[in-house]
Amino acid sequence: MGNVPGKLENEGIARPNRSMSASAAQTSSGRNGTTASGARSQRTSSLVGNLLSSRRRSSSSEANGNGNPYKRKSTKDKEKTEERHVKQLIVKYNETVDGGFLAPFGSCGTDKLDYDTKVVKNLIIERRLAPFYTPLQDFDNSWSREEVIKIIEALPLHAPFNEKLETFEDIPIGDLTQSDIDHLIDKTLSRREQRRMRSKIFKARLYKKRIIWQERENERFLESKIEAKQSKLQSNPNLPSDDLKYAMYSNGSECPICFLYYPQPMNMSRCCLQPICSECFVQIKRADPHFPHDEEDPSKPRDEEKDPNMLTSEPTNCPYCATPDFGITYEAPTDRNVGLQGLAPSSYVHSKKDSLEEPVPHAPDRRGSLASTDRRVVTSDSLRPDWQVKLNKERMRLARRSANATAIHVSNQLVTPGHQASAGLTSTSTPRSNSNDHAVEFQRTPPAPLWSANATAAEIENHMIEQAIKLSLAEHERENSPNRR
Amino acid sequence: MASLPKRIIKETERLVSDPVPGITAQPHEDNLRYFQVTIEGPQQSPYENGVFELELFLPDDYPMEAPKVRFLTKIYHPNIDRLGRICLDVLKTNWSPALQIRTVLLSVQALLASPNPNDPLANDVAEDWIRNEDEAIAKAREWTKLYAK
Repeated sequence: MGNVPGKLENEGIARPNRSMSASAAQTSSGRNGTTASGARSQRTSSLVGNLLSSRRRSSSSEANGNGNPYKRKSTKDKEKTEERHVKQLIVKYNETVDGGFLAPFGSCGTDKLDYDTKVVKNLIIERRLAPFYTPLQDFDNSWSREEVIKIIEALPLHAPFNEKLETFEDIPIGDLTQSDIDHLIDKTLSRREQRRMRSKIFKARLYKKRIIWQERENERFLESKIEAKQSKLQSNPNLPSDDLKYAMYSNGSECPICFLYYPQPMNMSRCCLQPICSECFVQIKRADPHFPHDEEDPSKPRDEEKDPNMLTSEPTNCPYCATPDFGITYEAPTDRNVGLQGLAPSSYVHSKKDSLEEPVPHAPDRRGSLASTDRRVVTSDSLRPDWQVKLNKERMRLARRSANATAIHVSNQLVTPGHQASAGLTSTSTPRSNSNDHAVEFQRTPPAPLWSANATAAEIENHMIEQAIKLSLAEHERENSPNRR
Repeated sequence: MASLPKRIIKETERLVSDPVPGITAQPHEDNLRYFQVTIEGPQQSPYENGVFELELFLPDDYPMEAPKVRFLTKIYHPNIDRLGRICLDVLKTNWSPALQIRTVLLSVQALLASPNPNDPLANDVAEDWIRNEDEAIAKAREWTKLYAK
C-alpha cells in the first residue's frame, strides 16, 4: 500500500489515505470510464461510485487532498483539533460583549458543546446571538442592589465540576507539558488495545488540561478584581461596573430549558418568539445520522445491510413549537453596548437615576415569525456547518463496512471450487496503475456489456459493488501470493 | 456523582409543590435522576380506577435527551409491550428539551385514554384491538382490575 502513516494512525485495516470530495471522485471516475465501461461515468454521482473510484485512485490523491474535509486525519491531527476546540471553550474575562462572554459557563459539561466556536464567537461579537452570560441558580426579587452586586461579584467564570472523575482513575497522564504521549502506552498490548489506551490517555489529559486552563483564567479574573479594588483610581476597563452588574441581573429571566436565570435580552425562536439562552441554543443539534424510523428491532436488517444512502439527519425542530429548521434572532440591548466593539464595561453608568423603580420594559416591536433563510436568523445548522460532511462520512463508513462484509461473504464462496467459474474476474476498470501487470491474468472472460441499456440505477450499482469486490479480492490475492515478484 | 443540574432540582421541587392530578413522581433517595411514578387510568378508559406504576430515568443528557419511561405494572395496551416499554413519539423522535417530566407523564396518561393500534408496539395486542375492539377493551379492563391495584 502506498503511504501508510506511521504507527498508530494506521487505523484498523491499513488503507491508503484517500480524499473523497465528490467532485474529485467524479473527475477520476470519469477518467476511468474512458478505458472501461462507459456506463460508469454516467453514474458518477452515486455514492458507491464515488467510493469505488476514489479507492482506486489510491494514494496518489493525497497530495491534492489539502483542506478537504473528507480526508482521513491522523490521530495526532484529530487530537490537536480537539484540544484546540476545548481551548476555545474557556471563558476569558476580558473578552466580553454587553456583559456576557464568548464561551459558555459550562452548566451541563462540555461534551455537548461541539459547535463551531469560531462561528459562535463571531455571531456574538456581531450581536446576532446573545453572549454567554454567567447564570444565576436563582433570583430573588427582594434582593437589594448591594446584594445583587455582591452575588454577581462572587460568580466564577466556569461552572464548577468534578475534579476527580472516576472514569479517569488509574489512567497515566504523564507530564502535561509534554505533547508526546507515546511512551505512556503499554507496548505489550495489541494494536487495537494500544489505540484504545491512547484515546483514554488523551481524554484524561485533556480533561485535566481543561481544569488547569479554567483555573488559570479564573485566577487572572480574580487577580484583576483584587487589583481593581486596591487601586480605586484606575479600574480595569474589562471589569464590569457595579451599575452594569445590577442593570444586567436585576431584570433577567429564566431560560425555559435549563431553568437558569440570565440577563435579558435572550435569543428568541424565529418561529414562535420564545426565549432561549445561548448555552441551550448551542446544544441543540441534528441527531446523529440514522435510518428513517430508527427502531431497535432485531427482525429488521442490521445497519450494515441497509442502503447507506438512506441515512439521514433531519434539521432540528424548534423545541417550543416543533417548526423544522430551528433558528433564533437576537436584539442586542441598546442601553448597554459594552465590551468588544462597544464601550469599556467598567465605564458603564446606568442612565436612569431612579433605577429602583424599574419601568416596565418597553415591548419591542413584535415581529412575526421569520423564515430560516432570513438574514437576521441564526439557525442551529449554521453553528455546526460540518453536519453535511459528517453525514456523508457516516454514509461512506457504512458503505465501506457493508462492502467489506459482502467481500468476506463472497470470498467464502470463492474458495469453494464450484464457484470459481462464476467469479470470472472481468477487469472492467483500469488496473490500479503501474506494477499491477498481474491484473491481466484475471481477465479471464472477455469484457462484455455488463448491463443492458435500460438497467436500473440499483442494478448498475449492484454490479459496480460486485466488480469492486472482485477487484479487491484479486488485489488481495496478488498481495498474498508468495511468488508475486 | 456529578452535581444535579438546576433544571432537575427545580422540576422535582415543582412536581412536589404543584402536583399533576392523577400523577405522582418521587425521586429515588440514592439516585435523584430515577423516579418512581404512578399514573391513574383516565376516566372512561378501560384503565379507569387502575393505578399504574412506572419508572422514569433522566439520562445524563437530559433535557437534550428524552427521559426513559417504562411501565412496571402489567398493562394490556397496543402501544405498550410486555416489558412495559412505551411507543410514544415524545419519548423518541419528537422529544423536545422544552418538554418536562410533567408533560411527558401527561402524554403517557393521554396515551392510555386513546390507544393507537395503527402504530403498535405490542403487535398481538394491536391485532386483537383491530379485530375485535370490544373484546380487547374488555381484556384491558380485566387486566387493570387484576394488576393495577
